[in-house]
Amino acid sequence: MKALQLIKYGEIKDSLAFNEVEKPAVQPQDVLIQVKAAAINPIDIGIVLGNLQAMLPIALPSTLAYDVSGVVVEKGDKVDQFEIGDLVYARVPQEQMGTIAEFTAVNIIAVSKKPGNISFEEAAGLPLAGLTALQSLEYAGIKENDKVLIHAGSGGVGSFAIQYAKAKGAFVYTTTSTNNVNWVKELGADRVIDYMTEDYKAIVKDADIVFDTLGKEYSAAAFSVVKQGGKVISVAGSLDEDIAKAFGIPDYKLPEEIAKASAEKEAEYKFIFMHPNGSQLDEIKTLVEDEKIKPIVDKIYPFSESIEAFNHLASGRAKGKIVIKIA
Amino acid sequence: MEDLINKIKSQIELSSKAEQYLLSISTEKSIQKGTTLIREGQAVNKVFLVKSGCLRSYCTDKEGKEHTLLFAIKDWWISDYIAIHDNEYATLTVECLIDSTVIEFNAKQIDGIHSLFPEFEPFQRHNLERHVVSLQKRILNQLQLSALERYELFLKQYPDIEKHTRNYHIASFLGITQQSLSRLRVEIAKK
Repeated sequence: MKALQLIKYGEIKDSLAFNEVEKPAVQPQDVLIQVKAAAINPIDIGIVLGNLQAMLPIALPSTLAYDVSGVVVEKGDKVDQFEIGDLVYARVPQEQMGTIAEFTAVNIIAVSKKPGNISFEEAAGLPLAGLTALQSLEYAGIKENDKVLIHAGSGGVGSFAIQYAKAKGAFVYTTTSTNNVNWVKELGADRVIDYMTEDYKAIVKDADIVFDTLGKEYSAAAFSVVKQGGKVISVAGSLDEDIAKAFGIPDYKLPEEIAKASAEKEAEYKFIFMHPNGSQLDEIKTLVEDEKIKPIVDKIYPFSESIEAFNHLASGRAKGKIVIKIA
Repeated sequence: MEDLINKIKSQIELSSKAEQYLLSISTEKSIQKGTTLIREGQAVNKVFLVKSGCLRSYCTDKEGKEHTLLFAIKDWWISDYIAIHDNEYATLTVECLIDSTVIEFNAKQIDGIHSLFPEFEPFQRHNLERHVVSLQKRILNQLQLSALERYELFLKQYPDIEKHTRNYHIASFLGITQQSLSRLRVEIAKK
């Protein structure tokens, strides 16, 4: 079968190639999905550039990407929750990475039926970004009337997080650039902050939750707008000590700036490393079918133009998800 | 099953042999919400008569979006008749929307029952005509009524259905978007 593979770490133009590879083997707990659409995420760029080699060692060449929607065409002996012909979507587990291909085998713990009211392309863009937002806000214990700041509301994770937080009844602040203000508002954000003309630190006070999707200086700065005892959840900043331990870095210390700010505010800093979860995808399916969450697709590329899709994502200008139509 | 027998008896004279045969080819089944009775792409050899509950048949387009063909409530028959008639794989999926009770028949046996017991013929013809009428009405409504009129008619036909169905089930039955359905609800509430 045809697959888009990472052949060496480095610049996108030198690193990716279409290869003819074996169809993946189906383990007893797997379904084999005939891929209709795959989506790419910032982590895929990180992998291509080689920035994640220490955390996620990958044997090259390796088929890329984690997000998929498609049709079940084969199933392992121990699978009874899914049938041949089911339309499904998934964020595949790390060891099964490789959705930009004609087929992908996925452990059923990561799989859910696809929402019935959206296309394969829309569904493919949901799992990784959706699970990241859901797991982060769920960890923060989001509830009705919470004040939540979500950074980068126009991104894949941000645009999902806004809608999820609104579905939970929260009051949502979000940051974005001038061009994106209007459509981000349409997602339901209560106060859209144009970071090019406004300072979020002057606008947001005593947030219950800050969802840091940007990292860098934004992680420590989050503590200046979070309330005493609030929560700062990051998916882009420094690791926290627990997650570092889990990744085998036992003597890791949280950067001093964050540790100090967190202690002063008695506000927890937590790094969320998204994990595949089929039952949370069921929850997302319901939210999408009830139109609490609308998938936001920036652009759909044909399979043959997958490399352009990576260039587009790397430009950082995508509004919503970048999807590759496979079949 | 008693209901069905009584209903048939109200329309035709049923011999005890014919009654026994009918019982022998049918099975009453309790079906859990979420169960798929007929699956797109697979062979179809069953038809279902709904005793209680609600079933839905739908097709999936190339994009992967579902379109509802039919909601079957008490006394409705449901299956993929194209697949049965043309001996092809199902193009429809039939799923159970709430816990339901159905009477399941083997499609060939129920279809051929009149050759063994000719007294079934008028009953079968009546069922078939009713089915054609309802499909014809559905097509004509789709062609000539406004979305609001179709929705009002739908609510009359299926009074309690909104408790059990998702908005996109109804929107795709009416051939409108979910946003349009929300607008229609607001219009009706204002009336």
